[in-house]
Amino acid sequence: MRVIDLAIKDLTQTIRDWKAALFLVAMPIGFTLFFGVLFGGMGGEQDPRLPVGFIDQDGGSILSIHLSDLLDASDAVRPVVLEESIDKVEKKVSDEELAAAVVVPEGYTEHTLAGEDVALIVIVDGGSSGGSAAQNSIQTAITRLRGAVQAARLSADAFEAQGGSPNDAYLAGALDRAIEAWREPTLTIAAAQSGMAIATEEESAESGVYDIPYAHASPGMMIQFSITGIMGAAQIIVLERKSRSMQRLLTTAISRVEIVLGHYLAMFVTIFLQLALLIGFGQLALGLDYMREPIAIFLVAVTMSLWTAGLGLLIGVIAKTEEQVIIYCMIPMFVLSALGGAWMPLDVTGEAFQTIGHLLPTAWGMDGLQNIIVRGLGLESVLLPSGIMLAYAIVLFTLAAWRFRFE
Amino acid sequence: MKIIDIAWKDILRALRNLFFLGFGIGVPVLMGGIFYFAFGGMASDNGLDIPQTDVIVVDLDEPDAAFGGFAVGQLTVDALAQNESLFKVTEMDEAAAAREAVDNQEADVAVIIPAGFTAAAFDPDGEGEIEIYQDPTLILGPGIVKGFVGSIVDAFAGASIAVKVTDGQLSEQGIDLDQATLWQVYAEYGGWAQELGESQQAGTGSLFTVQSPLSGEEKDTNAALAMIGGVMMGMMVFYAFFTGASSAQNILQEEENGTLGRLFTTPTSISAILGGKFVSVFALVVVQVLVLIGFSSLIFKTQWGAPIPLALAAIGLVVVASSFGIFIMSFLKDTKQTGIVIGGVMTVLGMAGISSVFTSSVPGASGGIAQIIPLFTPQGWAMRAWELAYGSGGIGDVLVPFAVCIGLGIVSFLVGVYRFKRRFG
Repeated sequence: MRVIDLAIKDLTQTIRDWKAALFLVAMPIGFTLFFGVLFGGMGGEQDPRLPVGFIDQDGGSILSIHLSDLLDASDAVRPVVLEESIDKVEKKVSDEELAAAVVVPEGYTEHTLAGEDVALIVIVDGGSSGGSAAQNSIQTAITRLRGAVQAARLSADAFEAQGGSPNDAYLAGALDRAIEAWREPTLTIAAAQSGMAIATEEESAESGVYDIPYAHASPGMMIQFSITGIMGAAQIIVLERKSRSMQRLLTTAISRVEIVLGHYLAMFVTIFLQLALLIGFGQLALGLDYMREPIAIFLVAVTMSLWTAGLGLLIGVIAKTEEQVIIYCMIPMFVLSALGGAWMPLDVTGEAFQTIGHLLPTAWGMDGLQNIIVRGLGLESVLLPSGIMLAYAIVLFTLAAWRFRFE
Repeated sequence: MKIIDIAWKDILRALRNLFFLGFGIGVPVLMGGIFYFAFGGMASDNGLDIPQTDVIVVDLDEPDAAFGGFAVGQLTVDALAQNESLFKVTEMDEAAAAREAVDNQEADVAVIIPAGFTAAAFDPDGEGEIEIYQDPTLILGPGIVKGFVGSIVDAFAGASIAVKVTDGQLSEQGIDLDQATLWQVYAEYGGWAQELGESQQAGTGSLFTVQSPLSGEEKDTNAALAMIGGVMMGMMVFYAFFTGASSAQNILQEEENGTLGRLFTTPTSISAILGGKFVSVFALVVVQVLVLIGFSSLIFKTQWGAPIPLALAAIGLVVVASSFGIFIMSFLKDTKQTGIVIGGVMTVLGMAGISSVFTSSVPGASGGIAQIIPLFTPQGWAMRAWELAYGSGGIGDVLVPFAVCIGLGIVSFLVGVYRFKRRFG
């Protein structure tokens, strides 16, 4: 009972401080929306495909028109016809207004149809992820265009072998047929994802976590700001020690264990309520189906709150001043968030980084939450992540309890 | 001289302080190190060394005597397995087991080649679909597998299309497509596609040439190092503003401790005292920026670009970060309020300002609104100056963000000085 009384006292202190609401609720919601918008969560743009500049120096020739059609048929890129100088287009690619640009040089159709090798020019920033994705789609479109030319040529050869004499109209007709056929090829790839409905490649060329709005930003910011959320509660411990209230507490009937547990309970409840609020926000406002597995999400939220509260208790024990509490909270917040994949998916990093990331509870927290909302898995899938977070909670709590000083 | 004495005292005090060393130098270096570790391992002379993707292949396709024992499925399996640097291939017999392995995160992708795919590939009207089953949280590996398998599928789809085009065109001329011609078209298209694929893989293909938007030369081969440079810029901008604010906080701290009041009783003008404080704020940000530039150049091999654009970006950052610190602290009553400012306001503005660091690894996330939002923060303008100076940026490129940083810095400084003078005057 005394543990609960002490926890209620800490919670009241936290709630009375308006700054707590900022760190616990406003900032994570703000950043979830911010990163969600950056990663395309709003879906505001009519056509979400990457814009690719299309500069036709071949004067609206048949192959430029077909190339534009093939690019337009792609699910990943959309051609934007430009009549600007190459310099201006390069600037747009450099500024990432365009993911890439394709230049069809003068005489491209004439030389290509004559069987000569003429290269198109693709302006792309190799260091940009959008550029790399666009380049793949451009390569597919160009290969298909050249495949269509080859098909038309083979058809003409066959006609010639049968005694016919293929003219330009014959070739143009064959090319039209081939381009039309490429719109719906008979051999395809079907992209499917665990926990998600199967979609054809044409419908999901950019399939993945960013197809579900906020699927990365919401759990990522939840994890990052749960660490910030312990700041206020850790400062209470420091203040109590500095003002000697803790020493005064020891003169009462409350035991040392009860004091430690009281503070820990307050931190746990704070983080758990914060997570519950953010899960509710994700469910109701962002359309993320956290509640499809209520027991699983409860388990993840509880174990996440337990380890974060353990960290908070340890920070409260180690820090001597309120200033130090801020530093000790901000450093793990940045480090654990970055390494644990809260800012960016771990699969875009190197192998060693991924391995080390998965030594941390933040990565397991991300796994647990994404197993539910992205992978569409059930209770069983969160047992390992929850178990690891629980192990972290035990280690951190034990360390904090061991180092706890009352004066 | 008194200004220098006061500034020197504050600088020494800050350099002995955990907050400056931790937040000003330690954390940015640590964060830079983390990202260097994240992406640095991927950097090589040939560009990006992509981590291996765990691929499970279920080949249900059968070789057919009619095609000389050839099977598209086996060809796909062999092609994937030969690319050991990209794929770690495991074969399985059942599609359900492969999907389950992906569900359990034992593999990144499952490639399921259906029975009869070869037959469909050699039937102009045949239809076939290879399933690529992936972990939805992954971006890079599954994308590479899709592109790789897609190019094989396209080669066979193209051959089918060539046959269909020939059939359609000949029919229009009143000629029936005979079997010999059909196989000839298949074979010739297949040969052409194979040659094209090999030349693309060898880098000798003539489909297109890649041109970098910045230099007009061949594309930057070390994209990973460019990415690390971006991260270091972001960390420097983010933490320079923290240093500006926390150094300016010293004025409030001294006011609370009563040492500022004591200083006012000495024959030193308020202007000299405040001037000394402001000089120390600027000096600490200068120290931080110089240390971080030097450190990242030496350790992370960051190529900061030409000296003059780099100097402009650095001056812009120092001016705006220091002045903004003075400006924001001039609105606070005491150090109790600084926690919210340093922990909250600076974090919000900083993360918004350097958001390009987070969006650069996600396709399509770095253009449009991601370019505009940061410019609503001083951090965003400082970051823009660094981004433009970085690499091959010239003086002209940096001038606008530099001017904005200086402008914002002057306005912030004047407001801050006015408010502090009025407070202590």
